Amino acid sequence: MAEYLGAGVFVPENDPQHREYLTEAGKGYLPLQQCDDCGAKIYPARTMCPECRSSDMTWVAASGKGTIYSYYIVPHPINPAFKDFVPYPVILVELDEERGTMGEHRALRIVGNLLGDDGNPAPREDVAIGKRVEVTIVDLGDGWGLPQWKLSGEPDEHEAWQIPHSYPP
Amino acid sequence: MAKGHGLLRGKYAVVGVGETEYSRNSGRTTRQMGVEAVKKAIDDSGLDYDTTSWGTTCYQVGDAAGSEIIFSDLGVRMDYQVDTWGGGSSSETLIGLAIGALEAGLCDAMVVYRTMNGFTEMRIGGTPVGAPAGPPPFMTRHGDHTMHSRIYGIASALQNFGLSFVRHMYEYGTTPEQLAHVKVAHSKGASNNPKAYYKQRLTVDDVLNSRYIVEPFHLLDCCVETDNATAIVITSTERARDLPRPNVAILGTGGRTHKWSPDYHWNHGPINQVGGIYTKDVVFPNAGIGPEDVDITGSYDAFTFTTLLQLEAYGFCPIGEGGHYVSDGTIELGGRRPNNPSGGHLCEGYTHGMNMVIENVRQLRGEVDDYCEGEHTYDYSEGACRQVQDPQITMNLGWAQPPTGSSLVMTNQV
Ligand SMILES: [Zn+2]
Repeated sequence: MAEYLGAGVFVPENDPQHREYLTEAGKGYLPLQQCDDCGAKIYPARTMCPECRSSDMTWVAASGKGTIYSYYIVPHPINPAFKDFVPYPVILVELDEERGTMGEHRALRIVGNLLGDDGNPAPREDVAIGKRVEVTIVDLGDGWGLPQWKLSGEPDEHEAWQIPHSYPP
Repeated sequence: MAKGHGLLRGKYAVVGVGETEYSRNSGRTTRQMGVEAVKKAIDDSGLDYDTTSWGTTCYQVGDAAGSEIIFSDLGVRMDYQVDTWGGGSSSETLIGLAIGALEAGLCDAMVVYRTMNGFTEMRIGGTPVGAPAGPPPFMTRHGDHTMHSRIYGIASALQNFGLSFVRHMYEYGTTPEQLAHVKVAHSKGASNNPKAYYKQRLTVDDVLNSRYIVEPFHLLDCCVETDNATAIVITSTERARDLPRPNVAILGTGGRTHKWSPDYHWNHGPINQVGGIYTKDVVFPNAGIGPEDVDITGSYDAFTFTTLLQLEAYGFCPIGEGGHYVSDGTIELGGRRPNNPSGGHLCEGYTHGMNMVIENVRQLRGEVDDYCEGEHTYDYSEGACRQVQDPQITMNLGWAQPPTGSSLVMTNQV
């Protein structure tokens, strides 16, 4: 059975979009749906292309590269699965794909966690808007994978920005 | 017919309001609280229980008693009933729906209510109290976005909304200190509200010294979850003229407008602007006014930043300048345009927007329940008055999530 942080990962048989998403990710890359008719790349997984309303889409590999667009740090677990994972950064990654092609302010932006080289959540010092990241796939078992993120080592896309600390140490 | 045609402007009125205590230990069912709130609102309206043709609507997320059970306790037969699913942004949306039912001739008066044990039964974000221990599975339902949210530890409302506001901080230099001023302003009103769950006046330092719930958001950036029920009664302005209460007419509503996508609009930017940027194009033409005409705002303050983002979206200040607007005294009691003088969700209590509608009705009536004995003194020192001087137009701003907005404009000038 697929598992993540000790909790089961279930997708019903009647939800092929998400089953395929995890299966494709399990092959080691960040999967995106691409519309067979208009060519748009799509995230998150959908049942129809919202650009042209086609139902025909094919999974393709994204470059897996992007820039941190927003983030925050979670200090306490809500789901007990995260009790040994806190504190963890939630990041919003703007992918290199499709930027500027779908209209003003639009892009493919993907949520995830920033991980360190050891696979644990990255410390807050390493997280900043503007930093470059690349995908890393976490094995869920049963051939499924979960896209996560690590710093790519590329130069920052623009001057890095961190949340100003406003709580006494 | 285009949106915002304004054909029903001022044709319907809020004639009754009622609520129960804001507590964290109601010890009662949502049925019993709902019955109390609806009865108080109907009593307040002066409408007759038996000869009025009643309609009703409520909103809930599987956490509350429905209309059939509440109206059967009250011994009231309903000619129209539609209970809906939803939390935040429902109150303004259902007031618009109620106007539609009245205009369609389905009934003569509509009750809109919300009853919830928001602390002892269902916490914010839909987490049931007493859920079994151990990690629940990550599981998609109806093809939802679990694999793009919950599996990454995005579980609470704050975690769902936080990315939008942090991007606002980045783009516009908005600071935690500015955000804290929203709590300071609302606590000032709450200190003059005997009903408020938290009545203590707070400082910016109090907020910044409270622990992080999600960095950069502090405990005191979050609202106070409570057990409570709220209700209002709506009928035609014509009928309202024969009723005992001061008239409060509805100029217009905007009902749960959306940005393009429910995935927290991360793909459809600007992600730091919220659904109100669309709602305003419905509600202002309907109401025939603009933001400059509004004397009191009632924002959905589940968090300090939801207030800031909504005030920007509706044009109370330019986009990006919300940090200045909420911290320069404008939104405080005694300021140019007070926001949530009752203390709102941050201090009074949390019933998904309805309590701020009730507050604005009372403000327009000039009958706010503060510590004044007899005439209002307009002395806004602690433990005194919270009646705004001669307000003529109020606006409620409803929120469900960043891409969703609803709103309501009311006036006493009818
Ligand atoms: Zn397409």
